[in-house]
Amino acid sequence: MGLREHPPVVAESLGKKYSRGWALRDCTLQIPQGRIVALVGPNGAGKSTLMGMITGLLRPTAGRIEVFGDVPNGRGMHAKVAFLTQAKPLYPQFTVTETLHYGRNANPTWDQRYAEDLIRKAQVPTQAKVGTLSGGQRTRVALALALGKRPRLLMLDEPLADLDPLARETVLQTLVEESREHGITVLLSSHVLAELENVCDHLVLLTNGRVRLAGDVHELLREHPQSSLSQLALAHMREEVAA
Amino acid sequence: MTWIVWRQQRPVLITLAVGLVVGAATILLLRMLMINDINARNLLDCVAKGIDACQGSAVREFQNSWFDVMHVALAGMLVLPLLVGLFVGAPLFAREYEQGTHTLAFTQSVSRTRWMVTKFVVAGLPALVAVGVAQVVVRSWLLAAGKLGPFAAGPFYLTNFEGSGVSPIAYTVFAYTLGMFAGALFRRTLVAMTLTLVIFVAARFVLNGVRRLMLTPTRVVYDDPIDYRIERGPLYVDGGYLTPSGAEVDPASVSGKLNCAGRSYNTGDLVACYREHGLVKAYVDQIPVNQVMTLHLVEASIFAGAAVLFVLGSVWAVRRQV
Repeated sequence: MGLREHPPVVAESLGKKYSRGWALRDCTLQIPQGRIVALVGPNGAGKSTLMGMITGLLRPTAGRIEVFGDVPNGRGMHAKVAFLTQAKPLYPQFTVTETLHYGRNANPTWDQRYAEDLIRKAQVPTQAKVGTLSGGQRTRVALALALGKRPRLLMLDEPLADLDPLARETVLQTLVEESREHGITVLLSSHVLAELENVCDHLVLLTNGRVRLAGDVHELLREHPQSSLSQLALAHMREEVAA
Repeated sequence: MTWIVWRQQRPVLITLAVGLVVGAATILLLRMLMINDINARNLLDCVAKGIDACQGSAVREFQNSWFDVMHVALAGMLVLPLLVGLFVGAPLFAREYEQGTHTLAFTQSVSRTRWMVTKFVVAGLPALVAVGVAQVVVRSWLLAAGKLGPFAAGPFYLTNFEGSGVSPIAYTVFAYTLGMFAGALFRRTLVAMTLTLVIFVAARFVLNGVRRLMLTPTRVVYDDPIDYRIERGPLYVDGGYLTPSGAEVDPASVSGKLNCAGRSYNTGDLVACYREHGLVKAYVDQIPVNQVMTLHLVEASIFAGAAVLFVLGSVWAVRRQV
């Protein structure tokens, strides 16, 4: 840790091609330490693809990527990274307690008390089967599972997509609190920037598989005429559509 | 990790345990009933000496009521490995991919390889033990029938071979790893189950067909080319006639040489006719009963070799990045 720690993510000319075409092209960026990073772009911009390559679930077609100085591979995810996919997969037949037990068994760095605290704060019944929980409760359990391993980088793919406005707010609040308190780098993807507006301090804007904008939120706002992040992002997306 | 897999496999393991207890209890009950029947019909002597030593209708009645049931039990031993492949092997990884929970497993700190190995062992070992126990229980029942049971016909007869020795375990390992590999490769339970069913049945069918060619047979020569009896017990591989020099007579030319109409066996005339046509002696190539263990091991090693390939294939399929 400290000064010698590698940045969470460094990508150089990273590209991923599926049979239907390039999902991500020529992506060069760095995710800085300790920030809440919004990864924004319209549907199909390459957000999930980028995250997939950070986890090692996907293999890059071009360029290279490093996660805390290591190249992700198919053997397993980097121990410092936690990842919550869009579908928030959990074993539906497990109870909440059993799900935490799962986390403890599968992660040497597991912090049981911390995970239990997160569940308690979320007021999720611990003996309920995960399959019977509401979308918001499931997200909170998945989040406790992701945070319980004490990651240095927490990635969330569209974490708010299936939540009602109230649940969105509480989940975001939890994220901000935990990342500030424990110095976790958070990478959040969304196609709606407005909901991340007050939360993120770093922005990566993807459209059509390319990086359009990347940098510190305050600097971006100083350099551009737009007064808010949403307007800035929208302006770039409009340019893209017009072109 | 063991706890995780145990928890995931709990419904399967409970089904397996209940099935094993009920199945074993049923077979032990049948065994008891059969032994009572043997005693009631006063057939103990026949059980020891065989059906030829027995007179009367009691033996026939006994066989009418027990012969088919015992063969059903042996047939069950043929189906058991396939069930393990279908219901334990095929869903092992395919279900994770279908539920999307493989990404959950892949995003924890344990390596994919360790995840795989734990799943493979924790899910597979109980199934293997169950098949082993079933085999022992069925065997103890059939042995109690002695020479009135199916084993009296020799270790190669009908399903005797497939239900004995290392064969049931070898078929189970094969079916289990086949299902696992198909599931890891195609990521769909139904596809994996279908492939397991088709490939298992095809592989067993083909290997049943070529089993007799796996060992070098022993040749038994009969001086009388007509009046010889093929023994029950050994596995028949081939048979035919020998020329005066001891060479095999080409099977295609035999039928023309059997034309001895009007010559009688009783006077020795028929044998003389055969010999005039060059059919001096008869021979049978067979695998003797005492080589049954070797044959079990040779066949099992083929299935085990395929199983190793399936395991390596599964490791590749799970660790590949798309």
